[in-house]
Amino acid sequence: MWRFHAEGGRGPLQANGVIEVLLLIGGGVAAGLFGSLLGLGGGILIVPLLTLGFGLPLITAVGVSLVCVIVTSGAAAGVYLERRVANLRLGMTLELFTAIGALTGGFIAFLVPERFLELLFAALLGYVGLTIGRRRDADPEPEIDTSGGASGRADGAGNSVAALEARLSAPGYRVRRLGFGVAGSLVAGVVSALLGIGGGLVKVPVMHVVMGVPLRVATATSNLMIGITASAGAIVYLLRGGIEPYVAAPTAIGVFLGATLGSRTAHRIDLRVLRGLFVVILLYTAVQMLLRGLS
Amino acid sequence: MNGDGLKSHHPPSDLAVAVDEMSIERVVARLLTVGTYAFVALLAVGTALMVVGGVQPLGASPRFDPSRIGDDIAHLRAAGFLSLGLIAVVATPAGRVLVSLIGYARGGERLMAVISALILAVIALSVALAQGFAA
Repeated sequence: MWRFHAEGGRGPLQANGVIEVLLLIGGGVAAGLFGSLLGLGGGILIVPLLTLGFGLPLITAVGVSLVCVIVTSGAAAGVYLERRVANLRLGMTLELFTAIGALTGGFIAFLVPERFLELLFAALLGYVGLTIGRRRDADPEPEIDTSGGASGRADGAGNSVAALEARLSAPGYRVRRLGFGVAGSLVAGVVSALLGIGGGLVKVPVMHVVMGVPLRVATATSNLMIGITASAGAIVYLLRGGIEPYVAAPTAIGVFLGATLGSRTAHRIDLRVLRGLFVVILLYTAVQMLLRGLS
Repeated sequence: MNGDGLKSHHPPSDLAVAVDEMSIERVVARLLTVGTYAFVALLAVGTALMVVGGVQPLGASPRFDPSRIGDDIAHLRAAGFLSLGLIAVVATPAGRVLVSLIGYARGGERLMAVISALILAVIALSVALAQGFAA
């Protein structure tokens, strides 16, 4: 619960200013590193860092976090597309609905009380912490459906949906239950703009568990989508003066460095230890955010 | 992966479309990579100028004002580089959609072209509504 303040006027290389910049870069590196190693956007850590650590209002932290989410997406999505892991067609189809959700959420965020957002964020942190804590090392892939399955409807509207699902599919898996994907994407968009996260926490399970997309493809496609999701929300924040450039820039640079470092060191790190540490941080942060919301 | 997917779900006569899809992905990937390095560079220059100028990030930040970017950059003020960097950040994903729209339209994929156009319409609506509220 600390915050640096200037003692006196501004001058060249003022110590406090330099320390603040370094702290923001360092926090961004940690968030980007954790995020890339655990397959999450940095937003889940950036918002608590800026609110609990630097004492910024939640709405400011959310605006900065959305910028960081776009940075994370830009750094990773290009690589996933080059390696042909991300499904561009599926991502673009679903991100139309995440963008609509994010546009809506961006305006709701300026209307609801900050306390409500803090309690919502505390609930999200607790949920993510418990989910990651219970996650097994290798989640089973969904059963591969090559027969058409739910997409095999041959009449009326079902036929056109089935045709679209077939167009969005790729070798080894067939996209199904597109309607659930659309609904999940709308929810992900609203949550993203309200809380400054990428929304991958919603999109990846929906694509993987409900739509039958392999986890690796779902994660990569989500990474591609969060750029547009966060961008639709970030535009609202930016034009309404909700993004503080002096805070956003060093934090985003740190996130970029951390995400780049994470993608290069992932194979050398024991993810079980990292996951345990991350769960502790998330749950501790959830309690702090809850206390802040209730105070 | 998706290019292969197209081969398996489309008749062989659609090979040209599949090739277009592959090139769209490649172009989009490069745009994202170049865009990311460009906005990170702008933000880095802005941050360096902040440090040199003794700016405290947790103090009051300048209000986002696109009309001052040129003047601020010409006078090597941090705010100009940071504002331009932030515009590049939010514009890069939209640029990716625009490139996809052009690629799909040229490849004759009307459905994907329409989806791309609708995404851009939602982003344009975000800008219009946010400017309306800010005014």
